[in-house]
Amino acid sequence: MAVKMIVQSKPEPKHPVAVKGTREGLVFLLDEHCAYEDLYRCLTDLLTGESAGLFNGPQVAVSVDYGDRALTPEQARALLGVFLARENFVVREWGGHTAARKALYGQRPSARAQNQFIHKGTVRAGQDLYFDGDVVVVGDVNPGGQVSAAGDIYVFGRLRGIAHAGIHGDERAIIAAAEFAPTQVRIASVVGWAPESAGERMSTFMEFAYLTADGMAVDKMQYAAVLRQAGPGTADGPGSAGASAGEGG
Amino acid sequence: MGTAVVITSGKGGVGKTTSTANIGTALALLGKRVCLVDTDIGLRNLDVVMGLENRIIYDIVDVASGECRLEQALIRDKRFDHLAVLPASQTKDKSALDPDRVRDMVVQLKQQFDFVFIDCPAGIEHGFRVAVAGADEAIVVTTPETASVRDADRVIGLLEASHLKSPKLIINRIRPKMVKQGDMLDIDEVVQVLAIDLLGVIPDEETVIKNNIKGEPIVMNPDSRAAMAYRHIARRILGDSVPLMVLDEEPGLWSRVKRLIGGRR
Repeated sequence: MAVKMIVQSKPEPKHPVAVKGTREGLVFLLDEHCAYEDLYRCLTDLLTGESAGLFNGPQVAVSVDYGDRALTPEQARALLGVFLARENFVVREWGGHTAARKALYGQRPSARAQNQFIHKGTVRAGQDLYFDGDVVVVGDVNPGGQVSAAGDIYVFGRLRGIAHAGIHGDERAIIAAAEFAPTQVRIASVVGWAPESAGERMSTFMEFAYLTADGMAVDKMQYAAVLRQAGPGTADGPGSAGASAGEGG
Repeated sequence: MGTAVVITSGKGGVGKTTSTANIGTALALLGKRVCLVDTDIGLRNLDVVMGLENRIIYDIVDVASGECRLEQALIRDKRFDHLAVLPASQTKDKSALDPDRVRDMVVQLKQQFDFVFIDCPAGIEHGFRVAVAGADEAIVVTTPETASVRDADRVIGLLEASHLKSPKLIINRIRPKMVKQGDMLDIDEVVQVLAIDLLGVIPDEETVIKNNIKGEPIVMNPDSRAAMAYRHIARRILGDSVPLMVLDEEPGLWSRVKRLIGGRR
């Protein structure tokens, strides 16, 4: 039950305009995904409608950040006009990635978050996986296989091949693996080798839980992709007799 | 309609041809109609291992080029008449075969045989693509050595990228003693790296080589452990669940087996 409720409780639809107060003044974050018309309407409502009184007062510095939205010159002028129409607003910053936004989110790790790519399955000899962002491999990277990423590399399995993080020069990139025994690791332009482990292998391995026709089962991580390919074991879903391990239903 | 299975490895000399001959013969022993196809043009040896070399008149390239009918090139085995070999050509060029022609041939063969085993050449170039083209399933042979496992891994990657999504694994030439001493990769390690289903494990035996020279597949020899392993694989292919053989048995029994097969110390 509990699981289901979590799944169903979707977050409230976001207001297209978020206002944050900072020491320097006000930061307006304009949603980058909604339709421009909605954004414009919400902004004018906020600044000239009923709630306009909230913003009355002494002069205040304002930063406006419209994220990755591609604004036509007319749209930009119209939006900027709404801010300029208020006498006590001094627009200090206007742009897609303002210093104000960076200051707001700067402390959070998510500020660095780039695109992520999740590769499900083994990266085998001769295969080269590249992604312009962070890469997560759910499976092993075998000797002779290579993973390259503009950002970080996380291997949920054994890293035995080559991993190159920060391939465009990001020296803060990291490489992580459940079993760390790479042929070679490279971060930006630095090459490293894992310490020689005298032929000893780690006895630990990652496991994952999944549902079968008989209930829940646990298997080694490298079989996850294979099992996923074969499709779920249950056609009639959980809740059949014997499915004891806390699924919602 | 039969099933076409390609037997491949990437690396040469790991036992593709020996496995093709033995699995095929084992299935023939179980009464199945089997055809073995050698696609290793220029380096044919399946017919030698099967002891049928002197009976070749036409070969697979002759069929492909239309010089003879498929039926004329098939050599019936002297032991079972429901076992046939389609030999490769010794002289012609590898480029003489193209994937579409081989696919057509395999489709034709599947109509009269229960199993069509395609012996793939080493490597991952043209010959590999030709051999894989007509197959419905794939078996990857490896030995417990790093180089061989690496090549098997590469081949599995290529197979998974093609239409053969779930290849099966045979580990050939296991020496229990060397594994025990840590001088050889053990089965678990190989399976963990390659992460595909294990079809069987063949112990290393000198009789295999002797039988290859004699032109008689090892499965014909009832005393051999390798023969038993191949028979088990044949049964697994038919869907029986046969447990893996225990390779390192108690000293008494193992040395008895060794004496039987004439192994040294």
